[in-house]
Amino acid sequence: MQQILIAQAGDGMILARDVESEEGRVLCGKGTELSACLVERLKKMEVTHVAVEGHPVVDENEKTLKEELFDIEQRFKRVKHIPPLVHLKKRIMERAVKAREE
Amino acid sequence: MEEAKKEHFRRTLRDIKNLPTLPGMVTKLTAMAEDPDTTTEQMGKVISKDHILAAKLLRLVNSAFYGFPQRISSLNNAIILLGFNVIKSLIISASIFEIMEDQDVELWEHSLGCAVVCSVVAKRLGISDPEEISTAGLIHDIGKVAIKMELPEEYELINKMVLEEKVSRFAAERQILGLDHAEVGKWLAKKWNLPNKLIEPISCHHDPRLAKEEQLSSAVVHFGNIVIRGMGYGHGDDKWVPPMSQRAFRLLEISAVDIDEILDEIEDKLWDVKGFSLEIQSEQQAAASENNCNGK
Repeated sequence: MQQILIAQAGDGMILARDVESEEGRVLCGKGTELSACLVERLKKMEVTHVAVEGHPVVDENEKTLKEELFDIEQRFKRVKHIPPLVHLKKRIMERAVKAREE
Repeated sequence: MEEAKKEHFRRTLRDIKNLPTLPGMVTKLTAMAEDPDTTTEQMGKVISKDHILAAKLLRLVNSAFYGFPQRISSLNNAIILLGFNVIKSLIISASIFEIMEDQDVELWEHSLGCAVVCSVVAKRLGISDPEEISTAGLIHDIGKVAIKMELPEEYELINKMVLEEKVSRFAAERQILGLDHAEVGKWLAKKWNLPNKLIEPISCHHDPRLAKEEQLSSAVVHFGNIVIRGMGYGHGDDKWVPPMSQRAFRLLEISAVDIDEILDEIEDKLWDVKGFSLEIQSEQQAAASENNCNGK
């Protein structure tokens, strides 16, 4: 599964999760194949991002999980002595892992 | 550092010649917001004179940064629903928006992200004007833009120092200029006649202990800056998460559970930030290719 911006969505991609409105109403169900027309409709409904199956959008700058975890470690390197920030780091790392697993 | 040189930087940054001024409308609206006899229609009329700003204002009102529950389609509705003061801080955001998005997309993403965290934290704390704190988060690094525009050579030296000596931008600025972007931001905010509610969080975002009146707002922006850097929305080669002030921590009373919930809440909203910056980048590319065509 990959989270993408609605601007990156295109013909033939399959929704990996329900698309919901802000109030939690399902606008478009999981498993639906996207078409240009459907993407336009979702844009009009102000959907900003969707989850699609596989990994259809290739981003040259995209990092591997290992690289991402390394970066997080680096960013927090100078605040290791501040417990709440250590907790923040741990949580951000867990989220990075979870985002790849799904 | 030589005093004369330092004085020169200080004067240049205090004068600020290259940054656009805030539209005269902001001063006018500030006066109107203070006058109890001002009507919604009068205010709407003044704002709608600047079409572009009015459009940006509505776009901002309906974006996730402020997170109002319903869609707001007209200026008058926005004024009635949000009140004069909120509209005033939104106008300030919308004007500064314009200045910043042209300058530095990465800094802009960092600023938008910080605004998102500030808004989430302010709402959790039950602060009465969360929009004001979002605005403060959005413009907390405006001093960096001023340094870049007024002292481009020194700005490059600062970048180089951050990269080569692996120090924070804040430290490099102090080394090279003898002052930092928080202080410069304060001067600029004062020059623009922004309220103290916005000035202190800008000048104290690296050390909220310095705040006299706006301690809580300064602590929120301080924390917002830390969280958003932790999530990877930094600025240039200065990638390190800055230390968190103990005092800010006590003021905000943040627990481990709070951190989890805050991360949950901001994650979705950050997609909006990505969408926004993508939009800006494509607009810039379109403008650039248009220029190229015209050049031929």
